[in-house]
Amino acid sequence: MTMNRRVSEFILGAIPILLILGLWEYLTITKIAPPTLLPSPGAVFTRFVMQLGDPTFLSHAGVTLYRLFCGFGLAVIVGVGLGIAGVGSPLVGTLMRPVIRVLAPVPKVALYPAFMLTLGFDHASKIALVFADAMFPILLATYQGALAVDSKLVWSARAMGVSRVKSLFTVVLMAALPSILTGCRIGLIISCIVVFLSEMISSTDGLGHLLVRAARNFQTVDVFVPLIAISALGLILNTAFNMLRTYLLRGFPEEN
Amino acid sequence: MKPLTAIPGVPPLIACFFLLLGWELLARWMGLESLPTAWDTVKSLPAILSDPKALADIASSVRRMAVGFALALCFAIPVGLMMGRSRSVAAFFNPLFMIVYPVPKAALMPIIMLWLGIGEASKTLVIFLGVSLPVVYHTYQGSKAVGEKLLWSGAAMGMNPAQRLLRIVLPAAMPEILVGCRTGLVLALITMVTSEMIVRQAGIGNLLFNSLDLAQYEAVYATIIIVGALGFFLDLIFEKLRTIIVGWADPVHAVAVGSA
Repeated sequence: MTMNRRVSEFILGAIPILLILGLWEYLTITKIAPPTLLPSPGAVFTRFVMQLGDPTFLSHAGVTLYRLFCGFGLAVIVGVGLGIAGVGSPLVGTLMRPVIRVLAPVPKVALYPAFMLTLGFDHASKIALVFADAMFPILLATYQGALAVDSKLVWSARAMGVSRVKSLFTVVLMAALPSILTGCRIGLIISCIVVFLSEMISSTDGLGHLLVRAARNFQTVDVFVPLIAISALGLILNTAFNMLRTYLLRGFPEEN
Repeated sequence: MKPLTAIPGVPPLIACFFLLLGWELLARWMGLESLPTAWDTVKSLPAILSDPKALADIASSVRRMAVGFALALCFAIPVGLMMGRSRSVAAFFNPLFMIVYPVPKAALMPIIMLWLGIGEASKTLVIFLGVSLPVVYHTYQGSKAVGEKLLWSGAAMGMNPAQRLLRIVLPAAMPEILVGCRTGLVLALITMVTSEMIVRQAGIGNLLFNSLDLAQYEAVYATIIIVGALGFFLDLIFEKLRTIIVGWADPVHAVAVGSA
């Protein structure tokens, strides 16, 4: 019964995707959309698979990945660290809240020109932008998750002689892990998107640069390829992170 | 007597002051030509805000953003409500949205421009795409969580499905919908600025890069302040609106940050 339902839901879910692909194919076959404007899905996917074996393309993808993980890694360290510190010390929390209140709704991408002017046009400015964009969801999720941790847990640990600082890491951090990981997952997808956009705005390498270069030369097929690559990367990272999350949270009752 | 920091609006102001102070010190310490001091930047704000061309750029950006945001709400809220109340509709849309979710919406700008031209339509469409997903997602979550008993009571009192959706599900899901709208609003601003920075034709993003190309560094930083203030005040106004509409609900602390 549930099996049947799952199969029918799967088919139902496939319908809109197939419809879109079908419409795309139809538009290109009937030449309603000229191939210079909309290449056929077949052409795009063959090109994508071909590019996956091309070392130049892969090196561009590598540059993008490098910036992504540097920015995201920094964001996790600073975000989780500040979030836990904000809960551990009321003073830090009080100082931090208004700053977050002001900075969180600011579109970080507007800071990109400032990063370019101060950090140069190379990796550093892009990493800084990824960091600025990914840090806030992680920080907020950590802070809110850590605030919601049952104080009895901390008291028990303290009664057993764990120091204040140590209890932050052994109790609060662990108990807030589900929330922290949710924040990290949001941050990861954001990093993925932001690194691509920053490369589109100004760059000489990376997947985003490939898209802009292709668009300027009207090579429509090559416009789609980096876009598919970055979206696929986002999906893969998201799935991988979910698996990591399930593994890390295997002891948490509410996650099963 | 209330401490000064308990008055609403004061802590953010103090935070702003210290951020500017930190910037001022950093600029003085680094002494870069490309990093003007906070004071110089703030001094150049009136010049930008009184320049009719710059104001027109900002106004047209904000108008596009509002149109894209409104269109996205008209699409996303009904879709989200239906997804929440019908498993089939949810199964129909979920995989599609899952695939579309990690696509950088602002990156579609060059492609959409090929099809729709460089006019308002393509810019508004990109904002629409950027806003829709979070609003659909939160509306879906909100309407899925509505208690069955409420709906049964409504049905027992003779309400038809459409009435139940409008009179029970929509109000009950409103707090969550508004969380989605808030995320969507921030995203609208981000998508707008990003797409303008990529295409560089009109609007705030263009203003930013024009000043950059002309090496008017104070103007660059001043524009950043304007965009930041825009984000902050939009968020603030929305939060006020939220307390008026769903003051009865518990405040939701959402991770209301995103990116296009």
